[in-house]
Amino acid sequence: MNRFIRTTLALSSMLAFTQALGVTRGGELVYGRYADSLFLDPVLNDANVDIWILTNLYDTLLQPTADGKGVQPGLASAYTVAPDGKSMRLTLRPGLRFADGSALTAQDVKWSLDRARKPDNGAWSGSLASISNIVASGNTVTLNLKQPDPTLPAALATFNAAIMPQKLFNAARGSTEAAKAKAFAEKPIGSGPFVLSSWKKGSSMVLKRNPYYWKKGADGKALPYLNSIRFEIIPDDNTRILKLQAGELHGAEFIPLSRVAELKANPKINMQLFPSTKVNTVLMNNRPKLKDGTANPLSDVRVRQALNYATNKEALVQIVTFGNGKPMRSFMSATTPLFAPQASYTYDLAKAKQLLADAGYPNGFEVVTLATSGNADDLALLTTLQQMWGAAGVRLKIEQLDNATKTARYRAADFQMRTAAWTNDINDPSQITSYFAIYDNIQSLYTGYKSAEIDRLFAQSQQETNPARRASQYNQIQGIYMKAAPIVFLYETPYPVALSKNVKGFVQIPLGNNIFAATSLEK
Amino acid sequence: MRATYVIKRLLQIIPTFIAVLILVFLLVRLLPGDPASAILGDRATPEIVERTRRELGLDKPLPVQFGIFVQNLLRGDLGESSSLKVPVFRLIVERLPVTLFLSAYAALIAVLLAVPLAVLAAVRRDTWVDSLIRGVFQVALSLPVFYVALQLLTLLGAKLGWFPIGGYGDSLKDHLYHLFLPALTLGFNLAAILVRTLRNSILEVLTAEYVEFARSKGLQSRVVMLRHVLRNALISTVTLLGLNIGALIGGAVITESVFAIPGVGRLMIDSIFGRDYPVIQGLTLVFAVLVSLVFLMTDLIHARLDPRVEHA
Repeated sequence: MNRFIRTTLALSSMLAFTQALGVTRGGELVYGRYADSLFLDPVLNDANVDIWILTNLYDTLLQPTADGKGVQPGLASAYTVAPDGKSMRLTLRPGLRFADGSALTAQDVKWSLDRARKPDNGAWSGSLASISNIVASGNTVTLNLKQPDPTLPAALATFNAAIMPQKLFNAARGSTEAAKAKAFAEKPIGSGPFVLSSWKKGSSMVLKRNPYYWKKGADGKALPYLNSIRFEIIPDDNTRILKLQAGELHGAEFIPLSRVAELKANPKINMQLFPSTKVNTVLMNNRPKLKDGTANPLSDVRVRQALNYATNKEALVQIVTFGNGKPMRSFMSATTPLFAPQASYTYDLAKAKQLLADAGYPNGFEVVTLATSGNADDLALLTTLQQMWGAAGVRLKIEQLDNATKTARYRAADFQMRTAAWTNDINDPSQITSYFAIYDNIQSLYTGYKSAEIDRLFAQSQQETNPARRASQYNQIQGIYMKAAPIVFLYETPYPVALSKNVKGFVQIPLGNNIFAATSLEK
Repeated sequence: MRATYVIKRLLQIIPTFIAVLILVFLLVRLLPGDPASAILGDRATPEIVERTRRELGLDKPLPVQFGIFVQNLLRGDLGESSSLKVPVFRLIVERLPVTLFLSAYAALIAVLLAVPLAVLAAVRRDTWVDSLIRGVFQVALSLPVFYVALQLLTLLGAKLGWFPIGGYGDSLKDHLYHLFLPALTLGFNLAAILVRTLRNSILEVLTAEYVEFARSKGLQSRVVMLRHVLRNALISTVTLLGLNIGALIGGAVITESVFAIPGVGRLMIDSIFGRDYPVIQGLTLVFAVLVSLVFLMTDLIHARLDPRVEHA
């Protein structure tokens, strides 16, 4: 067995080596996106359509690893944390440059991080909130902290901590910082593997190779391999797939899960299902009273548990995700660091009925869920749940709304249930936890769920520098949350990307970032 | 054609325009949901939503907002897109030519399809030819635009590979090539509307008195056909095209989404879903101006072609 493993390892490393020698440089990769980016500022953006391609333009001090479990060196070649955990020192690589050829200095780092942590700047400033001040000197940057912060390495590998050129930003037109940000974001200069070359909003975006990028490829020369990437915006799923099949695209994102099997069977296409942090749930309003003052059955934990027992997750995975998902074992995905699988709700109709009877609903009750209109996955899911819960006497009604209306409704706590999908933005469990389980942030995703115990454990974990103890705190948080069942746990789904066979080295990491740095077009 | 008539017609547009202005301003604000939440999505705290609302000027009372809107408009400024953070005017300038090109292309295809076929159907009235032409277009009229679009894409684009799938291209040749299928989709739909009405109006002309009169003067029937019938058919076509400009824009919205064409139709859909008030307002105004101008042009051309139109 051992010998077998050794041989395979030797073989695979040889294979990797020969592949590395055979990597092709040049060419333009054409990639079909479902929607265009809105605003390419790493600090002030808000949407995944921006976040997921930003790191191609702007590099960060550290980078998330492709498996989503940790961080690796980026612009900083190394970092050390002081024994008391109150400061962190990063060493920059020598000779770093921005895409226009100007030097990237420790001063740029200080300025960028100071801008990113300004509380008034964007939705992400909290990720760097533990920093009290930053000192730049030579090729080192020292972050002095208010308290130890185990999440900091992951935060420095997140898009909002990207390093921007202070001089060029300040030279952008506009009298306020916000105006300068808008002007700069139209023609951004960063230190990522690519640089924006042209952008017709809503139609196409072209990124050109950054000749000054620091990272080396397998052939010992600077990455990226590609000369350019052309993003084509094609909102319609069918059109995107047709274009890929016709050879007009090299890759297409967001393939509907219903089409995955068909594309897997196509010899010309490499159908990838990249592991993601995406969890699909039904969020419940846990408050005792609804917006209109009527009593809310969902405030009773037994009712929420009953709905979880009445949900056949394996069947949903087959019906809604066409076998491409897997049942959730915690509120966070299995790809999230410190994920700890919990004894989750197995399908048990008798138990569901018993719990409903105990809660005073022997004949069930009626409940209304918000759904996104026109979303086929939402409808497939909810009509299936209608049948499953109907068996326990729960009558589910579906109210279809457009996204903006739905958002306004749940923000005002004017709902009983809603469908929701979540992906992490940072390689650390603190983000998803603060949103799903902490009331003080946004009322636990507006469910109204609050647990003093989770609050305490979370506060501890945010300063816990001992990895084993932090893992145990997170295990407890996930256990408490599972029992309280503020949500209906459903399934995790991957990122479905279809590529033509000659595309190599592309990856979409669990956070969703599209990494084109080592992508090549083979002959 | 008297210049006063044109000026009078232009002046008539102004009240329409003010009504559209007020209506669209109120309508977008009556939509549930607000731009700040739509931009920020799931993760933003209430404080950030509030701050974004302030930045977008949505915390001010409605009359004040309307005042600012009109003030900017008088300066020729349509404001800034709340989601894309660029001037609305620039977005429209980038995208409008695409939609105009597509609409003109579709109208051309519709006319080339509809006029000869309508004449043929009218002349061969109540024969199998007539039934076939009417039948085919009757079916076309009842098919949803997105369905026709998808079938054309699958057959002529993906299966046969004669045409590219979607997009717009970079040169005039490219535009004609890329937009052929979407223009055919739209044009076919428009032709279906045209054929029915045209056939009837040609029949009317054929039986009308002055054709009888022309015949009695011993002109050959072919010349009669050409001169009288086509002239009248043209009047009807222009009028119909003008009246159907709304349908054309509506069709463009769907077609642009299916074929991934970066026109104003798709911009409108994206802006409505994103509650991008400035873009919705700007686009509606542009549509209003366009439709008004098209109606005016229709009237003028109609007046030119048909001497019976009285300039009341």
